Amino acid sequence: MNRDGEGTALEAVGLGKRYRRRRGHVLRDCSFRLPAGRICALVGPNGTGKSTLLALAAGLTRPTEGTVRVLGTTPARARERFAYVAQAKPLPPQLTVAATLRLGAELNRARWDRTTAERIAYGPEYGRAYGPEYGDTAGRTAPDLDLDLDPGPDLVREGALRPGDRIRSLSGGQRTRVALALAFGKRPELMLLDEPMADLDPLARRELLGALLGEAAEHGTTIVMSSHVIAELEGVCDHLFLMGGGRIRLGGDPERLLAAHTLLTGPARDLSGHTVVESHGTGRQLTALIRTDHPPTDGWETAAPSLEELLLAHLRNPEAPDLFTEEPEKADEGDEAGPTGGTGDPGTTAATGVTGETGETGEENVRP
Amino acid sequence: MNTGQLSRAGLPFRAGLPLNTGLPWTVLRLHRAALIVWGVFLLAALGTLVWEVEITADAVRERISACAGTGGLCRLRVAIDYGGTISWVSTLVYYSFFAVAAFAAGALVGRELENGTAELAWTQSVSPTRWLAAKLAVPALLLVAGGTVFVLVFRWAWTANRDLMGDDWTFDDVFAARGPALVAYGLCGLGVGALAGVVVRRSLPAVAVACGAMYLVNHNLEVHREDLWPKVGDGVRPESHYWPMHLVETGIVLGVAVVATGVAFWALRRRTG
Amino acid sequence: MTTTLPAPPRSAPAPGLGLARSLLRLHRSALWCWLLLVVALAAAMLWAYGPGYETAAADVQEQCRTDIEACHFPGGPWLSRYSATVALTTLVVSFLPLLVAAWAGAALVGRELENGTAHLAWTQSVSPARWLAAKLAVPALFVTVGAALLVPLHRLMWNGGGDLLWTDWFDAYGFRSNGPVALAYALCGLAVGVLAGLLTGRTLPALGVAVTVMFAITQLGDQYRPSMWPTVTVTGARSLSLPDQALQLDRGVITDDGLRIGNNMACSDADGSVADLRSCLAHSDLADVWATFHPRSHFWPLQLTESGIVLAVAALAATAAFVLLHRRTAAAGAAV
Repeated sequence: MNRDGEGTALEAVGLGKRYRRRRGHVLRDCSFRLPAGRICALVGPNGTGKSTLLALAAGLTRPTEGTVRVLGTTPARARERFAYVAQAKPLPPQLTVAATLRLGAELNRARWDRTTAERIAYGPEYGRAYGPEYGDTAGRTAPDLDLDLDPGPDLVREGALRPGDRIRSLSGGQRTRVALALAFGKRPELMLLDEPMADLDPLARRELLGALLGEAAEHGTTIVMSSHVIAELEGVCDHLFLMGGGRIRLGGDPERLLAAHTLLTGPARDLSGHTVVESHGTGRQLTALIRTDHPPTDGWETAAPSLEELLLAHLRNPEAPDLFTEEPEKADEGDEAGPTGGTGDPGTTAATGVTGETGETGEENVRP
Repeated sequence: MNTGQLSRAGLPFRAGLPLNTGLPWTVLRLHRAALIVWGVFLLAALGTLVWEVEITADAVRERISACAGTGGLCRLRVAIDYGGTISWVSTLVYYSFFAVAAFAAGALVGRELENGTAELAWTQSVSPTRWLAAKLAVPALLLVAGGTVFVLVFRWAWTANRDLMGDDWTFDDVFAARGPALVAYGLCGLGVGALAGVVVRRSLPAVAVACGAMYLVNHNLEVHREDLWPKVGDGVRPESHYWPMHLVETGIVLGVAVVATGVAFWALRRRTG
Repeated sequence: MTTTLPAPPRSAPAPGLGLARSLLRLHRSALWCWLLLVVALAAAMLWAYGPGYETAAADVQEQCRTDIEACHFPGGPWLSRYSATVALTTLVVSFLPLLVAAWAGAALVGRELENGTAHLAWTQSVSPARWLAAKLAVPALFVTVGAALLVPLHRLMWNGGGDLLWTDWFDAYGFRSNGPVALAYALCGLAVGVLAGLLTGRTLPALGVAVTVMFAITQLGDQYRPSMWPTVTVTGARSLSLPDQALQLDRGVITDDGLRIGNNMACSDADGSVADLRSCLAHSDLADVWATFHPRSHFWPLQLTESGIVLAVAALAATAAFVLLHRRTAAAGAAV
């Protein structure tokens, strides 16, 4: 991956948002940092503030507390450099697809990439079918990934968009394509995609993932995708944020997050001294997911949890402490200890279930 | 009225008016249907005025000459046919600021905030301020241009055959349509509508609020037109008072428009990042 | 809904009731606005009928006693308050049909089709035709109830203030607020709005179309109202002194040749005495003069005819809406 390890794509400090009519915060003391160049999955159950977080990052609403910085500046200043696709994929219903793409071009005169936008909207076959100037675009996506990006002409053409179609007449998935085409056409440095896959069929999903990965590979674009379906993004993302309780509860490279946890099975026994995320026993047998910061003593069968197990365990146990894996600055040296709980403050994380004042821990979790 | 807002809305990326960007095209394309309806309405109004003055007036005079010796009612009847049409035109065009307010509150701002297409624009490199500036500037320019043409044509049509018309300069619609107040009311509808749209953020309630607010503004001014300029001596109102009264009312209406527009910008900026 | 069979359990109301209830829930804010408007109008008209009129009349009398000029040009804050209330309530009541049309086109139908909630209803075991029937029937009920309250109150206010305001029974706004035509136009607004909503399928265009069409319908009504009931024509001296409060429509002469000429004022300035008229007619070679008018007694026939015509337009619009919906949806179960 062409990773631009230096910059920060997205950063929040003590971010909070409450809507007037609803009681309580949707987002509270949310702090995190996303390095540039990542493909980041923002996962979490419905109603945990994923959309709110993305809307705040896109500068569409103003935070109640805290700050969010996008591409090193405020969302308003970075407006031309990021793209955002809202969950509902709003598009002016009275326009045609072509007029909608023209709208994107008119609003982004300085940086509009018509070829890419039309490829996303009309499919990779569009160039071959409609004109020679698009001929070289089909092969541009994700050369280094073995996703099958070319599902065959007959499959793609079915349900394909035509420039003269009205937005009003489109299906949900077709609207998503147009919305994504507007996002791609901007040539953004950061893409904020709210549930981009929800309306897409498996074929279109593969196509979109391929396009996203290609974009990231070719231009170093940072991509943040929210989803409540965890499996959908597994294997695609190299960064993960788990949202819960209005904040980021797990953040980092999925592999590191997995490595930071161990699944224990064995006779029921005292686990104090360990950071237990979840434990449940059947009779004398106990199964527990613990943080690996203190390796378990003998007598346990250990196994590596799957990503889904890890996320579900955290969702089921809101009192489990937050965890951010340390990002390597340059190389992996000195990282054997692996991830540390919280910000490396063992006092906070060692005490199982002590997360009462998430406000404080949340802020400390931010790395400069 | 919006140029002040526009220059303030300029961002470091592109200085100056948003009119040299793709925004005007976007606004015109998004609201093409409304533009067509407005254009047809205005052309029909202008065409009717020209037709009445140039074609109908002669026929009316012939009919009146046939009335000779039959008393005043005959003349009056014929004249009503002529003046009535012109009066309809000025009435409809004058009160079209209600339609402007409804359009601004509903289609221009409220609906876009309601269904999220405004946010689409805001993440397509257009800041909310510039978005609103363009949304107001393009219709404002059209309203000023179209309104000016109408006022000039109406002034000509109204004076062309005074003997055939039963109205006078104090009639509500005539008073407004013979000067810049007509344009001011249009701009006021635009500003008030935009404010209602930004605050209410839902198209239909915004339409209701905007029309209600415009009724209050317009009704109170119509009722208090008499007080806009002191009467002469013993409560006499000479026609020479037309321009002072008219300009005072224009100023008030424009003031409302500017305040509403300013508050709309302020409310939008406060809500968005 | 109600049958002779044992009453259904409370938990499972009749489907029609359930549909009505969900409709009321969906448009609760509109219902509250309607109630508020009706109550506010009723309160204003009751004030104008009672204390408003009393105070203004007493004030005018007082002024007349001190200044003879004020008897001919009554004024004062109370009279202007009273007349403003009458004018505003009459304006609102006479334009209620436009409000109903705007709401029906935009919120009741257009918005539901635009954002797809209509389809939600149609897949919740409600056939499109029943959905549309409920959309027409439930608001019609509330419109009827509101009109049944507002119209009598308006009549009280209007007729009570005759001596202070010189109100006419044929005044366009007053006529549309003073009888069953008020209800007929409101129901017509509902049907026209629903049809506009179905035709455009979009909120704001439906609003524009519904208001424009309804405005045109009311203006046509105002224009052709005198033709909706046979007029009375009188000749001779009677034509020179028409009954009190008559709506004069035309006036003319009959020549010695028997030719009938309309829109002619000859001899109309005769002072009403038969002798004076005769000499004028003889002088001008005319046989007779005539006048056409609606006496005040035509108020009710005119109201009823116009109501019938407007209701027919409403029925036409409602039928068109049903036909349109039927052709669009799978109600027939097969392609037509």
